[in-house]
Amino acid sequence: MARAGPRSSGVLDAGTRDHLFSAAYDELRRLAASVRRDDPSRTLSPTALVNEAWLKLASSPEFTATSAAHFKRIAARAMRQVLVEAARRRSARKRGGGAPLVTFDEDTLPPEAGSEQVLALDTALEALARLEPRQALIVESRFFGGLDVRETCEVLGVSEATVLRDWRAARAFLAHELRHTG
Amino acid sequence: MNSGTQAEPGPARWRRVQDLFHAAADLPAAEQRAFLEARSEGDPALVAEVEALLLEDRTPGSFLDHSLPELAGHLLGTEIPGRMGPYKVVRLLGEGGMGVVYLVEREDVGGRAALKLLRDAWVSPSRRARFLAEQRTLAQLDHPAIAQLHDAGTLPDGTPWFAMEYVEGVPLTEYCRSHGSGLAERLRLFRAVCEAVQHAHRHAVIHRDLKPSNILVKADGAVKLLDFGIAKQLDPTGPGTDPTRTGLRLMTPAYAAPEQVEGGRLGVQTDVYALGVLLFELLAGRLPFELTGLSPHEAARRVLEQEPPRPSQIPGRPVHAGRAAWGDLDVLCLTAMQRDPGRRYPSVEALIRDLDHHLAGEPLDARPDSLAYRAGKLLRRNARAVLVTSAVGVAVLGVTAYAAVRLARARDAVAAEAVRTQRIQQFMLQLFEGGTGEVGPSSDVRVVDLLDRGVREAQSLEAEPAVEAELLQTLGGIAQNLGRLDQAETLLTRALELRRTAFGADHPDVARSLVASGQLASARGKYDDAEKEIRDGLAMLRRHLAKDDPEVARAISGLGRVLENAGRYPEGIRELSEAVRLQSRRPGLEADLSASMTELANCYFYTGQYAQADALNQQVLAIDRRLYGPRHPHVADDLINLGAVQFEGGNYSKAEPWNREALEIMIAWYGPDHPETASAQTILARTLLRLERRDEARTLLTHALATQERVYGPVHPRVASTLNELGIIARDQGRLDDAAADFRRMADIYEQVHHGKHYLIGVALSNLADVEQRRGHPAQAQELFRRVLAIYKEALPEDHPLQGIGRVRFGHALMAAGQPGEAATQSRAGYDLLVKRKDPPAIWLNMARQDLGTAYRALGRAADADRFQEELGAANATVKK
Repeated sequence: MARAGPRSSGVLDAGTRDHLFSAAYDELRRLAASVRRDDPSRTLSPTALVNEAWLKLASSPEFTATSAAHFKRIAARAMRQVLVEAARRRSARKRGGGAPLVTFDEDTLPPEAGSEQVLALDTALEALARLEPRQALIVESRFFGGLDVRETCEVLGVSEATVLRDWRAARAFLAHELRHTG
Repeated sequence: MNSGTQAEPGPARWRRVQDLFHAAADLPAAEQRAFLEARSEGDPALVAEVEALLLEDRTPGSFLDHSLPELAGHLLGTEIPGRMGPYKVVRLLGEGGMGVVYLVEREDVGGRAALKLLRDAWVSPSRRARFLAEQRTLAQLDHPAIAQLHDAGTLPDGTPWFAMEYVEGVPLTEYCRSHGSGLAERLRLFRAVCEAVQHAHRHAVIHRDLKPSNILVKADGAVKLLDFGIAKQLDPTGPGTDPTRTGLRLMTPAYAAPEQVEGGRLGVQTDVYALGVLLFELLAGRLPFELTGLSPHEAARRVLEQEPPRPSQIPGRPVHAGRAAWGDLDVLCLTAMQRDPGRRYPSVEALIRDLDHHLAGEPLDARPDSLAYRAGKLLRRNARAVLVTSAVGVAVLGVTAYAAVRLARARDAVAAEAVRTQRIQQFMLQLFEGGTGEVGPSSDVRVVDLLDRGVREAQSLEAEPAVEAELLQTLGGIAQNLGRLDQAETLLTRALELRRTAFGADHPDVARSLVASGQLASARGKYDDAEKEIRDGLAMLRRHLAKDDPEVARAISGLGRVLENAGRYPEGIRELSEAVRLQSRRPGLEADLSASMTELANCYFYTGQYAQADALNQQVLAIDRRLYGPRHPHVADDLINLGAVQFEGGNYSKAEPWNREALEIMIAWYGPDHPETASAQTILARTLLRLERRDEARTLLTHALATQERVYGPVHPRVASTLNELGIIARDQGRLDDAAADFRRMADIYEQVHHGKHYLIGVALSNLADVEQRRGHPAQAQELFRRVLAIYKEALPEDHPLQGIGRVRFGHALMAAGQPGEAATQSRAGYDLLVKRKDPPAIWLNMARQDLGTAYRALGRAADADRFQEELGAANATVKK
């Protein structure tokens, strides 16, 4: 009989664990800001941001041991968090949730519709992750990080057929969830 | 376990739904329903579910089919708050990755300031630490030419901010252009910049991003160096140097030193280089390298490969000077801009000195005809100074972030030496940081190369012993993170020796070495050595530091962890409770606190005190979610621990989702071949095993075992634990020889690691005994069970459930061997122990009931037999219900 032993605090210390992720996160936010500064009307594609962040960070010493695909995987996670948190704040404000923040250029922004969709997708992805974590990872990588099929295979260590099959089922599942919550 | 086909959502149901979905997806829509009905075994809900998915599959235009550009543009817009602390926001000044800067006005006392806010403070603790370190750095710098820190605070939601002097001025080069400044004016301004930078260096801060846009000249001609470290994140490119292509801002290496471009070691010479470029631009009216329009890669190559021209050779220079003066100025510039940092001025002070020589009409220390020779000589003469300054120099701002706690100590003059060396460590860590998260086969080669390079460099430095010790200590930590435990031991041992020689036997740095080396010993399973080293280190730290110093608390916690690993739980509980007590009294130690509470919960868990363990784990989960966000490996660890309690209570289907969520986080964070992932795979597999999903479990475990053997070597507790699970599967699938081999190897590992005294050896042997029984070797089996009980008796508290379980299993084996008398004694003793518990483990209780029923029947004790058979019947009925 075996005991399910509890886990200790892990092999790596917190700072190390944190580092790649926060570097990616900061770079994404910085790029988002600089793109807007240059051309406020330009729309931001998360995929393009992730690619640009990689170009920028690839040569920095922190990332010398990281492959492009693995970086994008981390960046996809960061991008999801960036967008979900932004959406959460916006949606709290919309509901008059007492948030002290006001939008700088509120008048010029389109209605708040997108926030709800991002939040609904996040929730649906959590639900999917409970059913099949790999599928949630595939969607997160592709949708938020712009990983292509080959990169997804590399990062998750599965075949192309599996990725395609998983994507199709996951897409249907999520579309269904979104239709019923959004 | 439910065996029916209830429509409850869950992984199994989802797999079924998907199989049907894929089978039907490519059929014509009209045929799908009939197809599904034929294959759904009369489950209309299933048909409906799959049909809903098929409908989505045919319908384009889901949210997921778009990328979300407009949405992202909209969501990521910068918000500005109305007020923060005593400040009213006037307008946005700039924004970067980490922070946003506003121009603010102080309403009560008047006056303007620039206020920086950490954006998304919740994302990760290291960002918060970096932000706060930046703020501390600013607080340390008190110089008229450096923008001052005014004030700092946090918003109600915990977001930190700080306010600093708002400087109205124009960039240095633009000022000189628009004022038509002459040579004397330009050199005066340049000297003022050098003094500010030198002030920073004296406080162990490197700017690392010196360029005109960070150096403002006010209307009165005073120079101000802007927000150290902040400027770097706010505006990575300066005016006139911007190779912007379609809004893409990439690093412009115009002011970056070659070692910066190459990702090499940064030091004070990095700032010296940037000052050289700045001087060049002031003298020549343009940058030394023409980089406009180049890709970052091409620009980097040019900086690395080309010699800069002499400023005196640039046509259209904005200043006039005689031939001799130009000779000096060329030397000043080009010495500062030497490609090899060792050939530059060894410090800003040396640069200022030569500038002053020039202004006074004296010969320079550096001369063109023997530039290399002189620089080399200078370097040798100042070997010690170079070493010290470059040690100080590694306090690049991004790095100080990781030493927030240590920086706070920097204010103690006493700790100055320690801080200097801490910074070497931080520098090294940064160099390797990207690698430590990567242990996978494809990428760790490069990390390992970095490590070896680091070791070689450390040896070739011929540094003073204290500095070398620090380097080795750091490299040892990295080697440990990479799972190269032998190398780590060599490095840490050498570091300890060097420190003892340099500082004597009793010194805080010696103590730090002892603690680190104890932690490594613990990671290697050498608990006796680990305990001794950490106790020695702790006693030494207590002599030199405050009783409640965070470092002391951390060492106490480390000691508790060793005791826990060694199976000495009551002692572990005592130490860990003390660490928790110290850490919860001091703010800012939440991460340490959560780690100590986790270990404390583990000790309670191991001693069967599940309620305490669960309560602590719930608290830890809440702390970690707040500290690290919902998808961090620490959170995964907490989920695993919560799952462990469910598992222990036999609630396997409740444990599974905890385990899965944990595994998902680990794969996302580390990739599939990392030991952390392996460990989460093992845990999920263990639960799946109990749910009788053996093939799924075996796949996970085989993968995990390969990773663990590669990283930890063949004799390690984690390998043992995986072997246990594989053994159980082999046993249940009837591969008894495989099973015996697995359990035997598991027991050997635990015996080597724990010197024959740990309950886990008992667990391994009792599994082996069970297999021997099944292979038809009852005598061996009984012999093994007796050893198991003896081990439990020695290693566990009397009322521990394993004491009962061991007896029940022994009884079961005796029963199978046809010895009802002895079987009844053992099973009954086990039963009595287990049934007293609040949460008795049902499987073992029922095994005991069954064996007791049969045994008493055979012994002719009908009443006793009836009692246990009735109990068994009742228990089974409850389960079915």
